[in-house]
Amino acid sequence: MREREPKILAFLCNWCSYAGADLAGVSRIQYPPNVRVIRVPCSSRVNPLFILKALQQGIDGVLVAGCHPGDCHYISGNYIARRKFAIIKNFLEYIGIEEDRVQFAWVSAAEGARFAQVIKEVTEKVKRLGPIKKLVKTRGI
Amino acid sequence: MMKKISKKDMNRFIKSLLEDYTVYAPVNTDGIFSFKPIDNFQGIDPDYQNSKKPPKEIFFPQSETMFEYEKGKVTSAEKVSRKRILLGIRPCDAKANLLLDNVFAGEDYQDVYYINKRENTTIIGLGCRKPLSTCFCTSFGGGPFSKDGLDILLIDIGDKYIVDVVTDKGREILTNKFTEASEEELKLAEKIKREAEERIKSEVKIEGVKEKLDTMFESSFWDKLSERCLGCAVCTYLCPTCHCFDIDDEAKDSQGRRVRNWDSCMFPLFTLQASGHNPRPTGKERMRQRVMHKFNYFIENYKRAACAGCGRCILNCPVNIDIRKVLKEILTG
Amino acid sequence: MPEVERKIREEAKNLLVNKKVDFVIGFEEGTLPLRVSPVFIYKGDDTEKLIWNSFCENNLAVYLPEIGDKKVAVVAKGCDTRSIVALIVEGQIKREQIVVIGIPYQGMIDRRRIEKEVEGEILEVKEKNDEILIKGDVFEKVFKKEDYLYSSCKTCKHRNPVISDILIGEEIEERTQVDEYAEVNEYEKKSVDERWDYFNKEVNKCIRCYACRQACPMCYCEECFVDNSYPRWIGKGLDSSDLAVWHIIRAYHQAGRCVDCGSCERACPMEINLRFLTKKINKEVKNYFNFETGLDSATSPPLATFNVEDRQDFIDSGE
Repeated sequence: MREREPKILAFLCNWCSYAGADLAGVSRIQYPPNVRVIRVPCSSRVNPLFILKALQQGIDGVLVAGCHPGDCHYISGNYIARRKFAIIKNFLEYIGIEEDRVQFAWVSAAEGARFAQVIKEVTEKVKRLGPIKKLVKTRGI
Repeated sequence: MMKKISKKDMNRFIKSLLEDYTVYAPVNTDGIFSFKPIDNFQGIDPDYQNSKKPPKEIFFPQSETMFEYEKGKVTSAEKVSRKRILLGIRPCDAKANLLLDNVFAGEDYQDVYYINKRENTTIIGLGCRKPLSTCFCTSFGGGPFSKDGLDILLIDIGDKYIVDVVTDKGREILTNKFTEASEEELKLAEKIKREAEERIKSEVKIEGVKEKLDTMFESSFWDKLSERCLGCAVCTYLCPTCHCFDIDDEAKDSQGRRVRNWDSCMFPLFTLQASGHNPRPTGKERMRQRVMHKFNYFIENYKRAACAGCGRCILNCPVNIDIRKVLKEILTG
Repeated sequence: MPEVERKIREEAKNLLVNKKVDFVIGFEEGTLPLRVSPVFIYKGDDTEKLIWNSFCENNLAVYLPEIGDKKVAVVAKGCDTRSIVALIVEGQIKREQIVVIGIPYQGMIDRRRIEKEVEGEILEVKEKNDEILIKGDVFEKVFKKEDYLYSSCKTCKHRNPVISDILIGEEIEERTQVDEYAEVNEYEKKSVDERWDYFNKEVNKCIRCYACRQACPMCYCEECFVDNSYPRWIGKGLDSSDLAVWHIIRAYHQAGRCVDCGSCERACPMEINLRFLTKKINKEVKNYFNFETGLDSATSPPLATFNVEDRQDFIDSGE
C-alpha cells in the first residue's frame, strides 16, 4: 500500500518567504509537493489560531515562514511574530502536540534553494510523525 | 405499590438491565458526579450527594446533533437507538424535568428530540436521606422523597431499598426479586423520610414573588444585584430547569451537521443581534432576565416557578450569589 | 474583630465620607460556610459589611475595567494588585481612578480541599490564628491554614501588594525559596502522549460556562474569540477538539497577563486544573522575555514589544 502523503500548510510572508518559493519555482528546484501555501502579508499576520484551525481540520503539519530578523518589510513584524511563536510553540509541545507538527523558519527572497530544503526537511519530519490524530475535529468544523 | 429489594439484588437487577437498556447512573470522575452510561454496576457511590451537572442533559444534551448531511443526503438524529434507564436522580431534578416538559412537550411546542428521549427513559429516583443546607425543594412543593416525575422511587433503609413504584412504566421493569415490603420496613422508611424532611432548614417564600416582580422591571434592584455577578453561565448551565439553546451549523464542503447547544441568558451574545444592537447590553438586564424568567414569566406561562430548589446555583456561583437571598430581597425590598 | 477588618472598614468609611471615591469594592459575609461574596459599598454606614478572612479568594480587579469614569477603591491582595498594574499597563484602567487598599496576606484557603476531607456537610467555620475550625452536624475538625492554602498561594512570591495607596497590616516576608514552576517542570518530563492524555482529560470536563474567563481580570475583551461569529473560530459544543482549542487559546491569550492569582481555577465548577496551563505560559514568558506580570507599570506587555536579541532557538534560521 502506498504511504499516506502528509498534508502540510505553509504560511509564507509575501515579501521574503513567498518570493523565496517563487525563486525555487523559476529556478526549477524540485521539492516535495505536500505543501499548500497561504500567502500572508507578514509572518506577524499569523494568529496562532490559524495554526490550531489547520490542525483541527486534519492538516498534518504547519510551517510558518517569514523574513530573517532585520529584513522585515514592516521593520519589526517578524520580531513581534517571533515572540508569539515562542510561546505557542512551547505551549503546544507542553500539552502533548508533537514538536514537529508546527515549525518555523526564516527564508529570504534570495533563498530559493533554501526554501526547497526547508520544505524537504519539514515534510520529512511530518512524515515521520504519521497522520495527525490529536486535536482533529472529526465531525463538522 | 411498595416493594423491597436487597442492595445485592439491586446490583444484579441493574446489571441485568444493561442487556436491553442503556443505563445512566451517577459516575464519580475526580470527585465530581455526572450521569453517564455505565457498563457495570456495583451500587451507588456512598459519596454521591447529587450530580454537578443536572440530569436534564439526558433529555436535553448540552450539545446535540439534530441532523447530519452529506451531499444532499440528510440523516436525522431525533431517535434514540435503545431504551434508557436513568438511575439515582434526586427528587428535585425529577421535579425539574416536569417543568421542562412544559417547554419541550407542552401545548405550544413538541420537541421531537426531547420527547423521544423522555418517552424512552424509565426514571429510578433515589430519595435524599441527607439533604444539604442549601436544599430548598420543599419550598416548591417537592421534598427529599417526592415522587413527582419518577417512575420508581428508592428509599435507602440500610441493607435494602424500599421500592415505591409510581408508574406503570416503573412496574414494567420489575422482576421477582422485588418482594412485598413488611409493615416494619415501611415504618422505618417513613421514619427516614420524616427525618430527612426535618433536615431541610432552607425555606424560600415564593408566594407573592411574581406579583412583586410585575412591578420591578425598571427597579434599581437589578443594578445592585448584578454588580457583583461575573456574567458566567454556571448558574444557568447547572440549573436543572434552564433550557435555553442556540442552533449552530458545523459544515465543511458538502458535509456537516446541525447542532443544538446550551446557551445562557447571562451571556451578552445570547441577545446580540446581527445589526450589532443588543437589547440586553449589560449585566443588569441579563440578571433581570434570569430572575424574571424563573419567577415571573414561567409562572405566567405555566403556573409555577422554574426552580426546583436543588441549590446547585448557590453552591457553585463563583461570587456566592444566593438565589434564596435574592428572592427574600425581592419580597422585602 | 480582627485588626485588618477593622482597618478596612475605617479606611473605606473615610474614603466614602470624604468623597474621595464613589464606591468601595470589598468582601462581605457569604451565605455559605467557607465563602464570602464581593460587595460594592456606596455609603459610609454600609462599610460595616466589609470583612476580611482567609476565604476572600476572588480577584476584585475583575470589576475595574467596567467602572467607567467613577473613582473606586478596591481591596486587593498581592496578586490582585499585580492584576491592577497589568490593567493599567494595558490601558484598561487609569491609575488615578483607583484607590488600592492593599493587604499583605499569607494566602487563601482551598475550600474544596477542606470539603473533601470531611464526611458530610460543613455547617460552621471559625478562623482562629493559624487554624480553621470546621463544624458539621456529626463532626468537628481543626485544619492548619498553612497546609490548606490554594496551590497558587503556596508558590506565591508576591504576597505583599505591588502598589497600594492604603496599606493595611504589616508587610510580610516574601518566600524567595519556593520553586513556583516545580509542577510545570515535572509535567514536562512526561512523554508527549502522557501529556496529551492528561490535557485531554482535563479539558473534557469543560462545560463552556466561561466562568474561568469571566473571573479573570485580564479577560476584558469586549468579544472573546470563542464568541466571534465572523470568522467563527470554533464550534460551541462539547467536541473535544473545540474544547482543546478553547483552552489552548485562553491560556495563550494570558501570555504576559496572568499573575497566577488562581481565580480561574476557583471559579471553575468542574474543577479543571487550569493553572497547569497558565503556569506554563508564565514560565515561558519569564524564560524567553524575562518578564513577570504586574510588577511595574513602566514595562510594556511582552507580546506588544520585542527585543532584537530575543531567543529564536525554535526557528530554522538557516544557521
